[in-house]
Amino acid sequence: MSNGFSRREVMAIGGAIAGTAVMTPLARARMLPAEMDRDVFAGVVRELRAIVGDEWVFADEASTISYRKSGIPDLRGEHIPSGAVAPANVEQVQAILAVANRYKLPLWPISTGKNMGYGMATPASSGQMILDLKRMNKILDFDAELGTILVEPGVTYQQIQDYIDEHDLPYWIDVPTVGPIVSMVGNTLERGVGYTPYGDHFFMQCGMEVVLADGTVLKTGMGSIENGNTWQAFKWGYGPYLDGIFTQSNFGIVTKLGMWMMPKPPAYKPFMVRSAEVEDISAITNVTRPFRMNNLIPNAVMMMGALYQLSMFNRRADIWQEEGPIPTEVIKNLARQNELGMWNTFFALYGTEETIAATEPIIRSAYETVGGEVLTDAELNGNPYFEHNKALMRGGLTLEEKGLVRWWGKSGGAVAFAPVAPAKGSETAGQTNLAIEVMNKWGFDYAPAYVVGSRELHHIIFLMFDKGDDENSAKAEQCMNEMITRFGERGWAAYRSSVSTMDLVAQQYGDANREVNARIKQALDPNHIIAPGKQGIA
Amino acid sequence: MERHRESRWGKARVAGLGIVGALAAAALVAGNAAPATAQATYEIEPREPEYLYERTCGYCHGHNIAPIIRGRQLPAAVTAAIVRSGMGAMPAFKPTEITDQELQALTAWLEASEADPEEHGA
Ligand SMILES: Cc1cc2nc3c(=O)[nH]c(=O)nc-3n(C[C@H](O)[C@H](O)[C@H](O)COP(=O)(O)OP(=O)(O)OC[C@H]3O[C@@H](n4cnc5c(N)ncnc54)[C@H](O)[C@@H]3O)c2cc1C
Ligand code: HEC
Repeated sequence: MSNGFSRREVMAIGGAIAGTAVMTPLARARMLPAEMDRDVFAGVVRELRAIVGDEWVFADEASTISYRKSGIPDLRGEHIPSGAVAPANVEQVQAILAVANRYKLPLWPISTGKNMGYGMATPASSGQMILDLKRMNKILDFDAELGTILVEPGVTYQQIQDYIDEHDLPYWIDVPTVGPIVSMVGNTLERGVGYTPYGDHFFMQCGMEVVLADGTVLKTGMGSIENGNTWQAFKWGYGPYLDGIFTQSNFGIVTKLGMWMMPKPPAYKPFMVRSAEVEDISAITNVTRPFRMNNLIPNAVMMMGALYQLSMFNRRADIWQEEGPIPTEVIKNLARQNELGMWNTFFALYGTEETIAATEPIIRSAYETVGGEVLTDAELNGNPYFEHNKALMRGGLTLEEKGLVRWWGKSGGAVAFAPVAPAKGSETAGQTNLAIEVMNKWGFDYAPAYVVGSRELHHIIFLMFDKGDDENSAKAEQCMNEMITRFGERGWAAYRSSVSTMDLVAQQYGDANREVNARIKQALDPNHIIAPGKQGIA
Repeated sequence: MERHRESRWGKARVAGLGIVGALAAAALVAGNAAPATAQATYEIEPREPEYLYERTCGYCHGHNIAPIIRGRQLPAAVTAAIVRSGMGAMPAFKPTEITDQELQALTAWLEASEADPEEHGA
């Protein structure tokens, strides 16, 4: 056919649409909440419909399809939701929680559900119902003097950028590399990162509203002061600081979140330091650390491995057709053809022309001392890899990095592993060697990025695999488990995890941590209806 | 620490932009005293196909990482099914993100659309 689909493909897709429409989740017992029989579930669905309206409850095979999509291995069907319910406001959230408590219906809250590399919208265990907060999508406040924003869960970074453009506000957003389609609330609650000086999102968060399992509405920090106006201006409030316990957590449902916005600087200058060898990562880290400690470089420094970058715009089969992992020399050659080294370190300077001119030589000479070539727009303007990070470091919206999920071609998948370590060169060498050893053993390519946030090093490893091939998916799962375990033995643990490894990672943080979390959970959500299993908390 | 950073930028702006900058900053403050900054509703639905394409699909399709989908007369029902289910590296888009009505219009528009020579598929 002229549209590029074969006749068979069109028929197959058409058949899938028709076929799923007649099935219900009741036909697939494993999708139901674990200890609930189908009649009770059907009754729950009716009650939920009465709260949000028929069209905002999704409880059959066809209408829940969007909520089941995920890019991580799930060979045993352990992350399949029973359905989804989408409230329009806080009152509906409270009413849904009341129903959930009555029937012990587990609810998995999402903001936009684009937790890519970590399981998207899917829950930690099958049968949970997705609480989809996307319809709550208002920017409630943007204080243009103070540079603060108050948003609901469904607000995407695209929406905030549109708002800034429309009102011509002198602020930048700070985005994860997948900004257009993801949520400021969802990302910040996962303690996600971006690439301007405001890149540590939870650091820039200020005040939240949380609905607890019993329907209590808690405003953290200064949010509950009668006639108060300081909610988005002062983070800490009075007494124990509570915001932290609602991040990467299942203690409540966050319905509003405050953030600080970065004033748009008069001048911005992005840099890329090109380093030729895999081993150079250690020296680059040591040069970077003091600049992050004294803030001479104000944004998180990204040290991108060549293969991470190349995998955005290339398919594996175009580069390497033989068995086994791609040899370093092949990667090096392709990198060179694209004006890249084996590591390409990105940072930027923000301020005025004068402040940048004063700082640049200091930083430039430090990287040059360890053999780095310090490059800017003068040399790299138009290079797609440079342009990509140049956009990110000024809060630009892009989805180019999603290209890496296609590394193996159609039906691609990717699961992320992100261990943290102190920002010392000696750590990078150990981590990189261990990751290469484990990934190559299972037949996967090591496509890394390191980010020096402040004193820590985030090691972002995307395990790219072929989700359409069960055997390959099984290997990806085993590879990930081995990596988590072996990194753990060396004292390196993940800062975040996919829904499939939440328990494994929680174990590494020790019994006392788990026990305290369990006690808080018991106190706040005695029926365990909010996201059981999230971060290993039952 | 962040407060320092903010005030430093504040000064830098005024210093860097001189009188004009300072005036602009003053205007900004004055201008913002009045308008309500809260969004009563976001984006009156339904949003137009071009608007949705530009803000969602177009970041990937025709943008170096996903196939071109304009000008291929892709059957609307097939495209709609792909959007709802996702496909490989493409995430699924839920009715809470793109309503059924919007999706119908978007996929019909795509089916009838001309190819855009500026786009670069993959
Ligand atoms: C190629 C690629 C690049 C990526 N780059 C980055 C990056 O640079 N930085 C980064 O941080 N991430 C990155 N990600 C990961 C991920 O896509 C983003 O973090 C994304 O923002 C998370 O999805 P979301 O915003 O839709 O959150 P959601 O999926 O809505 O939420 C994530 C989780 O938070 C919890 N949660 C969400 N909302 C609530 C709520 N209202 N109340 C209680 N709990 C809630 C739930 O457990 C939920 O599962 C990347 C992924 C890929 C595949
Ligand atoms: C994050 C990137 C991304 C976004 C956003 C995205 N897609 Fe896709 N889409 C892809 C990728 C990648 C493929 C190819 C999947 C494969 O081959 O495995 C694809 C495949 C498709 C296909 C099949 C094309 C073919 O030739 O096989 C259609 C149709 C489609 N997308 C429509 C859409 C529409 C409509 C939107 C917007 C509502 C959209 N996509 C948003 C990445 C995206």
